[in-house]
Amino acid sequence: MPKTSCRHTWEMINIHYGFIVTEKCYTCEKISTYYSFEDRPPLDEYREGEHFWNVMESAQSFRFDFKCRACGQIVPFDELMGLMMCTGCDEECQVEKLQKKHAAERTWIYVAFGFLPTDEHRQLSREKISILEDFFNQRRKSSTSRIKIVSQELVKKYATCFGEVIKDVDMLSLKPSEGK
Amino acid sequence: MKLKEIIDKLALTSLSNLEERDVQGVFISDMLSDVMTGAKPGNLWLTVQTHTNIVSAANLVDAAAVIVSHGKKVPENTIALANRYHVIILSSTKSTFELAAELIAIGLKNQ
Repeated sequence: MPKTSCRHTWEMINIHYGFIVTEKCYTCEKISTYYSFEDRPPLDEYREGEHFWNVMESAQSFRFDFKCRACGQIVPFDELMGLMMCTGCDEECQVEKLQKKHAAERTWIYVAFGFLPTDEHRQLSREKISILEDFFNQRRKSSTSRIKIVSQELVKKYATCFGEVIKDVDMLSLKPSEGK
Repeated sequence: MKLKEIIDKLALTSLSNLEERDVQGVFISDMLSDVMTGAKPGNLWLTVQTHTNIVSAANLVDAAAVIVSHGKKVPENTIALANRYHVIILSSTKSTFELAAELIAIGLKNQ
């Protein structure tokens, strides 16, 4: 991104709803995620070279870009799969250590996730993570708390992490309202 | 308007730790995607969702509080996470529609 003297004020633009699809190859157990803009997320298994992909989960989410209100610069965010808040599930995880360090000053840690596998998809740069952080902090006018966004590289083990990416899945309640 | 004033007027039950906040507007949705793209800082967020993810989203958009309507039972782990992140969760047996009408009646406007 070009260097500029503008003190950017970011707004979300180009918001598109869609689905984050997570699939797993049942021969090599590789996990892959991608974004689908279709009205209904794909469900069928399919073969791709040596892989046999099965859909594990489809969750409604959204994609966006940022535009600076002052200078008009547009920054695309198609590398971002989602944001996850640390739930403190592993004391040895760098994210939890950071959360504990900053909790007293009410700085809350979120992890920015890219698409899997990470070595096959372009991941968010530090510069873009910083823009994401600026966006959420610039809007926090009513609060004394702050948001700090970190890279997924800090998560000790993604497979056993209890943090949940913010997306519309598993949101249905099977319990009726109390007293009804 | 102050949050405690709204809690008293609408007879809301606080499920999490409570602290005073300024409320600026109301946002109603059961989709996190909507909240993330549409809710404003200081909004009261009305929803029937009770998943831990409501804490993540409310904290990120800086919602003043979440009101869970229709008497939906909020799981303990959601309340524990809300307390950890100072997100206020309130509850009411009233419907979202009734709550919206009462919020308008006491002078709160959308957004």
